[in-house]
Amino acid sequence: MNNEMTLSFVAIEENEALARMAMTCFITPLDPTIEEISEFKTIVSEAVTNAILHGYECDGTSIVTVHALIEGNKISMTVSDEGAGIFDVEQAMEPMFTTRPFMERSGMGFTIMESFADNLSVESVIGNGTVVKFEKTFSPVTEVSRMR
Amino acid sequence: MADIEIIDNGIIIATLRGELDNHEANRIRSHISSSIFTGQVRAVIWNLEGLGFMDSAGIGLILGRMRDLAPLEGETLILNPSSTMEKIFNFSGLGPNIRHCTIDMAIREIGGVLHEQ
Repeated sequence: MNNEMTLSFVAIEENEALARMAMTCFITPLDPTIEEISEFKTIVSEAVTNAILHGYECDGTSIVTVHALIEGNKISMTVSDEGAGIFDVEQAMEPMFTTRPFMERSGMGFTIMESFADNLSVESVIGNGTVVKFEKTFSPVTEVSRMR
Repeated sequence: MADIEIIDNGIIIATLRGELDNHEANRIRSHISSSIFTGQVRAVIWNLEGLGFMDSAGIGLILGRMRDLAPLEGETLILNPSSTMEKIFNFSGLGPNIRHCTIDMAIREIGGVLHEQ
């Protein structure tokens, strides 16, 4: 099955749940396992929370855009913001690194995303924003095995 | 959603339901912290059996409360997380705090630890 979608929303915390729900609905036709859905939702949640909180500081006006493409049993996603950008991507991706220890951010977002996603990459320019790209392949009942 | 209950021997039982993300963690943080600071609390049991989803905000929430408890040498136990949550806890070094058991068994474990002090 092939499918494609784009979702844009303003940077408020409530939209973390919106993004998770929309993306969960979008992958449902792929018959993912409960574990796969749960891992996928976690990646989406981490990436979208980063954009809302770190990209835009929950300003309520700037726009986060999520784009997703399903090809066969693989989803390719981008989560983009045009916000603050990341000073040092390599450092940001280190486990436990956080710019906001007093806000109780665990610094585990990128570690979790990298562990649950395939081919995660991050492009960021200070003052211009951040794009997180990743893929995830699900292991559902395929068309071929359905016909057998 | 979170139900916070303090039982007689200074143990907080935080039963979480629904989805624990950054937004929800911000809502329940002060509630749990004030319980720790007002009571004679010596341990927190996080009952995650009914929690449908958690991201790294849950790690921040639990590590933050462990920090609150540190001066009291308090114990933290995390009960019955889903397998995805368990992976996230393991990435964060919280694996040793996980138990798959009933609340009663967890209370008994903490009771035992406190007695030895």
